[in-house]
Amino acid sequence: MLGSHQGNGHVLPLNGIRVLEVSEGVAGPYCGRYLASMGAEVVKIERPPHGDWSREIGPFIEGLPIGDNSALYSYNNQGKKSVLLEWTSSEGFQKLQSMVSEFDVLLEDWDLALRDEIGIPSGKFIDSDPRLIEISVTPFGLSGPYASWKSSPIVQLALGGYLYLTGERGKEPLMLPGRQPDYLTGLNASAAIHIALWERDRSGSGQFLEMSMLETLATLHQFTMEMTTFEGVLRMRNGNQWQRESSFASYGITTLPCSDGYICFGISTEDQWERLCAMIGRTDLIDDPDYDTRIKRADNSEYLDTLVTEWIADRTRQEIFVETSEIWGLPTAPILDMAEVVKDDQFRYREIFYDQDLGDSQVVTFPTYPYIASKMKPNIGLPPSLGEHTEDFLATN
Amino acid sequence: MAKDLISSGSLSDIRVLDLTRVWAGPLATRVMGDFGADIIKISDPRVQLLSSNGLNHKLNRNKRNIGVRLDIEEGRDVLLGLVKKSDVIIENFRPRVMRNLNIGYDVLKTVKPDIIFVSMPGFGVDGPYSEYPAFGTTAEAVAGIPSLIGYGDGVPISTGIAYGDPISGLNAITLIMAALRIKNQTGHGQFIDIALSASPLCNLGEYVGAYSGSKKVPNPSGNRSKEYSPQGAFRCRGRDQWIAISVFNNREWMNLKNLLNDSDVNDIQTDTLEHRKNHEEIIEGALAKWTSRLDAFEAVSLLQENGIRSGNVSSGAQLLEDAHLNDRDFFFDFEEEEYGWKRYDGNSIPGNKIPKSKWSGTNDVGVNSKEILTDLLGYTESLCKELASKEAVYFGD
Repeated sequence: MLGSHQGNGHVLPLNGIRVLEVSEGVAGPYCGRYLASMGAEVVKIERPPHGDWSREIGPFIEGLPIGDNSALYSYNNQGKKSVLLEWTSSEGFQKLQSMVSEFDVLLEDWDLALRDEIGIPSGKFIDSDPRLIEISVTPFGLSGPYASWKSSPIVQLALGGYLYLTGERGKEPLMLPGRQPDYLTGLNASAAIHIALWERDRSGSGQFLEMSMLETLATLHQFTMEMTTFEGVLRMRNGNQWQRESSFASYGITTLPCSDGYICFGISTEDQWERLCAMIGRTDLIDDPDYDTRIKRADNSEYLDTLVTEWIADRTRQEIFVETSEIWGLPTAPILDMAEVVKDDQFRYREIFYDQDLGDSQVVTFPTYPYIASKMKPNIGLPPSLGEHTEDFLATN
Repeated sequence: MAKDLISSGSLSDIRVLDLTRVWAGPLATRVMGDFGADIIKISDPRVQLLSSNGLNHKLNRNKRNIGVRLDIEEGRDVLLGLVKKSDVIIENFRPRVMRNLNIGYDVLKTVKPDIIFVSMPGFGVDGPYSEYPAFGTTAEAVAGIPSLIGYGDGVPISTGIAYGDPISGLNAITLIMAALRIKNQTGHGQFIDIALSASPLCNLGEYVGAYSGSKKVPNPSGNRSKEYSPQGAFRCRGRDQWIAISVFNNREWMNLKNLLNDSDVNDIQTDTLEHRKNHEEIIEGALAKWTSRLDAFEAVSLLQENGIRSGNVSSGAQLLEDAHLNDRDFFFDFEEEEYGWKRYDGNSIPGNKIPKSKWSGTNDVGVNSKEILTDLLGYTESLCKELASKEAVYFGD
């Protein structure tokens, strides 16, 4: 079998794969978007009258009609077809069931309460169609003490151990922007579906895949839990610096003001420390007994911040970024805001942005995907208007 | 499903050469190893892998380890031999490193034309910043993440979790599986370049889209949200104990208001989102007063019983003891000779993995060098000795 060629030797790896998305919001839809970009036909079921709840939530794009103006919906549903169906009624559910049999993948977000209410045991679809891959994407999975809990991005970040680590020591812990737990889970779900398709190709078997957002977050910590299990230390939030109470302590993970904003330093190794000293003209610190261990430097980080700030204060972020990277080999980066991100030379060079005409002469810029590959190029389609493809899939008799 | 397939895992027919270090890359290959892929981790014998702070333990389970010096000709020959026997090679050096070792994609594809070569550099393999060093924390900075975190005083705050890494790791799994699918369909390998800095940007799609329409730069204001109010983290009884609360709609708010029964709140108009946004400080003050008297876990139970989205702000230590994660048998306990029993996170991707009872902990540098060279490459005993004496391959202690 040959893959679908797009020209330039590019292939859409999921060409011929049909995905039925009965999932609202961000986690499931972000996964569906990824699959669509790889050539899968993704059909999204939306319930009347308003469809996916993310159609009605901000941030909004100015100049577009209500229902089509959510940047959140538009981004996460690029390249899909929208079918309007009240699938929670018994008649609607029958229609949904007959649709599922035409698809390779069922992507749904039915939590325990909804499954009980409508009567969907986890084997409902997979038992009659053993080649089906059904993935259930919910905040906590379908078992366990939290299975019936209600969630939100900040609640996920709290329980997943991310919130505790971000913000100033002693102050309110801070959330990551937007809907990061959903995005991470969407990526995880995409990986799960790809692996399940591989399994089906070799064994012929589909699977029921039960994915939990909380577990997704819990597998994405670097050494948070190891600080406890190996060193007996609690990893804590500490503003823009790493904490002093662990073997990871050192000077150089820090964010400092310069002439036109803030610059982030990511210095963590001994040779980077020595180059930093050379850069600011203080090689005397390298052999200074007050700074000759990581922990001593961490203890003196306030003073070291003032030394580095003196060196950077009159320079711009870009000047510092280029000089520290090119001459001194130090990992640094300007902290960019949204207006600057979309103008960034590197992102522009790699053509990560895509201008999409959403109608009413509104051209909107979205990021595409974080990769460039020699034989895969994401296929970016438009987000559907509500029920745009209903007639293609549901006979009106 | 055939029994032998069940026990071996979905990816047991795939071999990956893993040159990645630290986090993003090892996370991707860990997932594949849990699913039965033969992950051969190629370690520099001069760099410690296992250590008393556990940094590399959890991400390198279920991998075989060979210690190879790629800067020694015989070591490089070993790599080329392994490439011939592998489907995927993955690395996260700065672009010039693989080039300078003369093992870039252009070289490896002459050895193995259908090899899938995955690079995970900070900014991508080309473009103005391509050779700049990076770190998860600096990668998230250029993507705009810290500009969206803060207390409203204009000072940006980094995530505290080096966010560029985990997202790139998740992206890598999907992309490797897609490339393997293409290879199965067309016989072609390819080169994939995943930029650490681009992954967080793609998790901010709604911000980019909304900005391009309005040209308004979003600024953070603690945990407050335009859509949900009240929302935040609130301090409970005990040391640095907090819970997160997020109210999505008027019904949830009425439940919370009844629980609070606070005279200041009862005196004001709070029925709609707009009203609550107008009185956010009063509401947050009342909430903080209420939670400060309560135990965090009791408060969350009470709130969830009343249908209010909330969760404990868990530290790493609390995460390890989380009732829900433990009930679902999420964690993986493993004993290592030198370090004893430790608890690690499991795998959040559902599917046909190797049974946890058969998982192996992290193999130290060179532990599997001999079996890999003899079984896979057919090296003789005397050749292995020669490689050892030239220090091209390290065979463990």
